[in-house]
Amino acid sequence: MRERFRALDPYLLVPILVLMFMGTLTIFSASRGTVQSSIWLKQSLWNLIGFALMLFVSRVRPSRIFNWSAGFYILGLLLLLAVLVPGIGKTIGGSRRWILIAGQTFQPSELMKWLALLFVAHRLGTKPPDYLRAADLLGITMLVVFPMLLVLKQPDLGMTLSFLPIFMLIPVIKGLRARWVALGLVAVSIFGVFAWQKVLKPYQKQRVLTFLNPNADLQGKGYQINQSRIAIGAGGFFGQGFTAGSQTQLNFLPVKTTDFVFSVWAEERGFLGVLMALGLFGMVLNRILEIGRAAKTHAETYFCIGAACLFGLHIFVNVGMVVGILPNKGIVLPFFSAGGSSTLSYFLGLGVIMGVHYRTKMK
Amino acid sequence: MDLRHRSLLQKRIGFIQGAAWLMILLLVCAYAWVQIIMRSEMQELALRQALKMRTTPAPRGIIYDRNGDKLVDNRRALHLVIQHEDLPTDAAEVEAVAAALQLDPESLKRKIQVGRQAPGNRLLVLQDNLDEAGVAKAEMLRARYPFLSIEVAPRRVYMGDDLAGHALGYVGEVPPELLAKEPGKFEIGEIIGRSGFEAARNDRLKGIDGQRQILVDHLGREMALFGIQEPKPGRSVYLTMDAGLQQILRQSFGPEQGAGVVIDLRDGGILALYSSPSMDPNIFLNRLSQEDVDKYYRNPSRPLLNRVSQGIYAPGSTYKLLVALAALEKGIITPATAFTCGGRKTYYNREFRCDAVHGTLSLVQAIAQSCDIYFYELGMRMDVDEIHATAMKYGLTELTGIDLPHEIASRIPSREWKKKAKPKDPKWYAGETISVAIGQGANGVTPLGLARFYAMLATKGKVLTPHLFYGTRNEENGQLELFQPLPARDAGLDPKIWSVLDEGLYQVVQNGTARASKIPGLDMVGKTGTSQVTTFVDRSHYSTLAKHLRDNALFAGYAPRDNPQIAFAVVVENAGFGASSAAPIAKKLCEYWFLERPRKPLPPPGGKLFDAFHLQTGKTPVEVTPP
Repeated sequence: MRERFRALDPYLLVPILVLMFMGTLTIFSASRGTVQSSIWLKQSLWNLIGFALMLFVSRVRPSRIFNWSAGFYILGLLLLLAVLVPGIGKTIGGSRRWILIAGQTFQPSELMKWLALLFVAHRLGTKPPDYLRAADLLGITMLVVFPMLLVLKQPDLGMTLSFLPIFMLIPVIKGLRARWVALGLVAVSIFGVFAWQKVLKPYQKQRVLTFLNPNADLQGKGYQINQSRIAIGAGGFFGQGFTAGSQTQLNFLPVKTTDFVFSVWAEERGFLGVLMALGLFGMVLNRILEIGRAAKTHAETYFCIGAACLFGLHIFVNVGMVVGILPNKGIVLPFFSAGGSSTLSYFLGLGVIMGVHYRTKMK
Repeated sequence: MDLRHRSLLQKRIGFIQGAAWLMILLLVCAYAWVQIIMRSEMQELALRQALKMRTTPAPRGIIYDRNGDKLVDNRRALHLVIQHEDLPTDAAEVEAVAAALQLDPESLKRKIQVGRQAPGNRLLVLQDNLDEAGVAKAEMLRARYPFLSIEVAPRRVYMGDDLAGHALGYVGEVPPELLAKEPGKFEIGEIIGRSGFEAARNDRLKGIDGQRQILVDHLGREMALFGIQEPKPGRSVYLTMDAGLQQILRQSFGPEQGAGVVIDLRDGGILALYSSPSMDPNIFLNRLSQEDVDKYYRNPSRPLLNRVSQGIYAPGSTYKLLVALAALEKGIITPATAFTCGGRKTYYNREFRCDAVHGTLSLVQAIAQSCDIYFYELGMRMDVDEIHATAMKYGLTELTGIDLPHEIASRIPSREWKKKAKPKDPKWYAGETISVAIGQGANGVTPLGLARFYAMLATKGKVLTPHLFYGTRNEENGQLELFQPLPARDAGLDPKIWSVLDEGLYQVVQNGTARASKIPGLDMVGKTGTSQVTTFVDRSHYSTLAKHLRDNALFAGYAPRDNPQIAFAVVVENAGFGASSAAPIAKKLCEYWFLERPRKPLPPPGGKLFDAFHLQTGKTPVEVTPP
């Protein structure tokens, strides 16, 4: 038995288990007295399955996983394509994002982030950094952009943007030059104007406008952010207490088991609880990067950096969004938000990281 | 792995680690700002949207008749409302709601505007008395527009539908005109009596609204109750009306138009009051359908007019008693004075007719036969101001003072009246007094004024104040507080003159024009009247005349003769002779009241023990002075 768990890094495992426990408690409190009141049980089950998945993946040699990564990547693309096929893809609220597997909705885009990262890390790791040319980088960029376009087609803007942290690998490998940054800023601003004029749908524009001035539309799109801020603020330093947040329990807080689950935590546990959660998130990110630093191969290091960026962006965007410093993007919070696909995907990524750690024998 | 590059990567990983902790720090600062610095503001916002004050409307007092039979009750009804604190600001949403409920969007916006500025937290009613389909629709709307809510509130039920619509009146939201006229007296959206007794005694009937402090969820649903101040229901009120007699009065009219009123001679209490066509107050609690608007507002019969206190009719021969009274008092004739009727006679170069050739008659016979010539002779010998002075002395020119809104006084002509009413032709012509003497010409009385005049005759000169208010029950201690009507004014009628008039009225029913309405075993006395609606028609073909041009039939009197208990006046519009249509209604009323009415003792008038209440509760009522 001990042998089986030996692959797991306690410095990473313990913060994750604590965060998961906190998240499940929060989901329990948030869904209390609603039609979804058993969702915390379901989430616990996903956590268990995810944990088993992580245990399994951590015992596979990372080099072997990287060798299969092209196959995984193609499998992920096929799943994403399947979503777009009418009859297989399931449409909820005007977006076709899910496929039905054994009675459960599954969101392939969550998985695809990790499969893309896996394949990109593998491709980058095959050549020494100095031999990576612009053409190679462009090819690798296309590997990420193609699934992003498929996700945008669903449409799911938040999920599309959540692929972006993978690109962080490029400056990490090639370094950051001032002219690159300038070029990037120009490209982003041109793309931004173009997107605003042609690509963005009215509701997406509305989200941006709402972010810029949430008070302009208190009953409409700004309502969610506003209620979330009230919940967080009402929590104060010590919090209202478990299952005692008025914003949560009286349903003023919207989508409180997924997007706004952290507001529930902040309302019921207060600033102390927020400090604790953010500290644990920081420890998780820090430890993943430590593992990457110690890894033996480039691909392993790259994967760990990419994973830290993925986790970091999700945490930053979600936690920042619910407090109103970032726009309402519909991005979920790792280990807190309820959801099967995302939970399994995180554990899959963690499994690879645990495997990397196991092989490097670091302290 | 190449070492140089390795160290470069490690440096960059260190940089990312720093960035991650910086990000965490940034988030901590954001949360510290909201949770520590903004805390109290956010807590207040949270409290303000979750903790609400709601008004619980107080039920109005229940209205009973004098025997304790319910005339007006309350029941619980559901209304679609907007709470004061939820009044929407979004014009598009208001328009959408207005469209869904088929309301005028502009007037709804105006109402919301007014409601927002109003003090207190009274709710805005969008749709009242929801039926099952209405509730289903309201729930659907609520899901989309959370500022809507469904509230339970008491609602009036008028028993017997149009049984006593004009007497009872109806309730509704306080109209803007009244709000402007008496600022501070009413709250916006308050339900008040809009007509009839409901309006006249609104202060007694209305209760004090309660308040509830509740915790609501995002849809405004009540989740928990914090504090409650129970509403104080309005006082139950007893009317002097007798529902049984009222029922007889309504039935006797059938499809005919007109008015009837019965007065309790002991204190002036109204026993029955009916105006035909009647109105059903229940209709006016809802938004009126087009059909009802046509029926009530665009109807030439004017069903909303309370003909008893607002209808002016030429009194016809019922007026002769006043003329006889004036002539006797002024000494122009004695009871023995006789005139000869030849069926027609010329006064001031104009020929006046009588219904028949009566020959020589005394005053009593002239009253009994309703001889016009006899009274033309009186009109010849009297001045119009003498008749007017007598009318004033016996209270016919003034408002009766009944506790119903918008009463109109009878119109008794005089020189002064003509100066005011006809400034282009202010001079009074002696020939006009001839018409006035038989109750035509400019004369106009309300049925209530007429009934009060005959009540004066019945009581040998006591001028009563008719009233509907009998007493209230104090809901707190269950005690009955009786209304003390104004004491009767003694007008000083000479008993000798009275006995002549009484004899005349007796002869009308015994041998005179109303002999067909004689009641065996009961001496009902009274005077018939037939008044022309217009003088500009060819009366030689009366039987083919259009209904609305035909004569009004009247009958006024009292019963029983030896110990009068009730006085009454009945007008049937366009029905021809008073003897053939109005007197039979009076007969039915007397038959019911004295012979057929359940033989329980008549509950005593105000100021004494209220036996129905006493029997029910065993408590002794306390007396209160009139307001």
